[in-house]
Amino acid sequence: MATIINIPEAKAIQVNNLEFTYNGAPEPSLIDITMPIAKNSVTALIGPSGCGKTTLLRAFNRMHDLYPGHTYNKGEILFEGRNIIDPKEDLINLRIKIGMIFQKPTAFPMSIFDNVAYGLRLQGTKNKTELNDRVEKALKDAAIWKETADRLKDDANGLSGGQQQRLCIARAIAVEPDVLLFDEPTSALDPISTQGIERLVTELKEKMTIIIVTHNMQQAARVSDYTGFMYLGELIELGKTEEMFVTPKERLTNEYITGKFG
Amino acid sequence: MTMLFDKIFAHSTRIIAITVLLVVAAIFTILFQESLLSIQSNGFAFLSDTKWAPNLEKFGALPSIMGSIISTFLAMILAIPVAIGVAIFLSEIAYERLKAPIGISIELLAAIPSVVYGMWGLFYFVPIVRDIFGGMGIGMLTAGIVLSIMILPFMAAVTRDAMNTTPDILKESAYALGATKWNVVKDVIIPYAKAGIIGSLILALGRAIGETMAVTFVMGNVHKISMDITQPATSIPVTLANEFTEADSDLYYSSLFELALILLVISFVIIAVAKSYFLRRTRRTS
Repeated sequence: MATIINIPEAKAIQVNNLEFTYNGAPEPSLIDITMPIAKNSVTALIGPSGCGKTTLLRAFNRMHDLYPGHTYNKGEILFEGRNIIDPKEDLINLRIKIGMIFQKPTAFPMSIFDNVAYGLRLQGTKNKTELNDRVEKALKDAAIWKETADRLKDDANGLSGGQQQRLCIARAIAVEPDVLLFDEPTSALDPISTQGIERLVTELKEKMTIIIVTHNMQQAARVSDYTGFMYLGELIELGKTEEMFVTPKERLTNEYITGKFG
Repeated sequence: MTMLFDKIFAHSTRIIAITVLLVVAAIFTILFQESLLSIQSNGFAFLSDTKWAPNLEKFGALPSIMGSIISTFLAMILAIPVAIGVAIFLSEIAYERLKAPIGISIELLAAIPSVVYGMWGLFYFVPIVRDIFGGMGIGMLTAGIVLSIMILPFMAAVTRDAMNTTPDILKESAYALGATKWNVVKDVIIPYAKAGIIGSLILALGRAIGETMAVTFVMGNVHKISMDITQPATSIPVTLANEFTEADSDLYYSSLFELALILLVISFVIIAVAKSYFLRRTRRTS
């Protein structure tokens, strides 16, 4: 049985007995996941490839619903007191509140300014001064203002990979989400850009709840407050990061973090 | 031994490639040579004169040139919105199970020989256009419609392929910000695929402007510039197809060759523009 510690902080999200199956797959990819997510902290999800960590992450903002046939069989994800895997959930609204950063930088084919303003404009912000202020604030919070201030009109694809990823973070935080999901955000970046993103993640938790999927155990240890270890679709252990990497409660966790498999 | 074979192989491919260039150059030379008489005696007035009266030795190409441009323009206006709509449906909206059958049937439509479009246009479409818009039914409008139907499948298929190159992760990041499907198509997919879409439009334009069989049936071959698009008109390929057999004087014959030269130059320019778009796109993505 899984070892899930109790969390003293307020919870941003509570997952209960979640089961999820991909279209046409014979077996569910998430099995009976029960997991609290602490508010204003960083929760890392680790585990070998195919363990379901990205699948779980993409359930939080219902990304799976973009493709037909994937089904949430059982369970619930509670957010703001309601079950967000309810079919009646307003997905546009949900995705404004729960933002996402992807494995690769995904700058849109438009200017730097328009990239960051995109989410704001979708919500109907038209006032120029307000747009300017919020874009500037988002770029500052994402630590990329200095490099972009004098070239906001330039094509965003002219930025380096690390800059583009920070631009994507600026774009996501411009709409002030409550939760930000990171899906292996540094897997395509060099070590120095990676450091920048990791610093940013730990800074951002002042303002929002962060869930980060990572392949890299050291990264989880560096940035997170809580770590969840997943294996074959199950959450094996959730614990405080500093405790879990020193004294894991589960045998599987111990074997994974000591490098016996992975 | 293998080295020798490699050398022979390399040289033979080189010779074949050069042959293609030679053929193009030869066509160009012949057209120019045959047009020489017309270029000398008609001068630049050939391009601006509206009177085409072979029996009086008067040759003005403007009605043919205008006919080509206007019928192609009409075809593009009619085909572009439909083609882009079909492409959006196929790449973003249709269910997986629908995509393949519809996609394949559209590609099959592109294989219909243009003479079939011409016959179908003459016997089926001309009466309909006559009933709705008046006039003779034969003319610029009918030619434009038939051409638009003919280039539509190609345009839709290439536009769809261009849209399909948009990475999922890019679309997902727009959805993750609360975008609707319409937002994603408008703000992400179309801008991302823009170069490919424009390239497909220009290639379709090149095909439409040189099209002969489909429009010969429905154009009317009347050398007049009419503001009324329901009236009969002509275009460069239509004039060529209809009049070579009747060319009884050297100047008439040479004037037709100059028309062909003009058409070749127009097509060359269009393809060159399309190419430069495609090249810019590959440079950017690589």
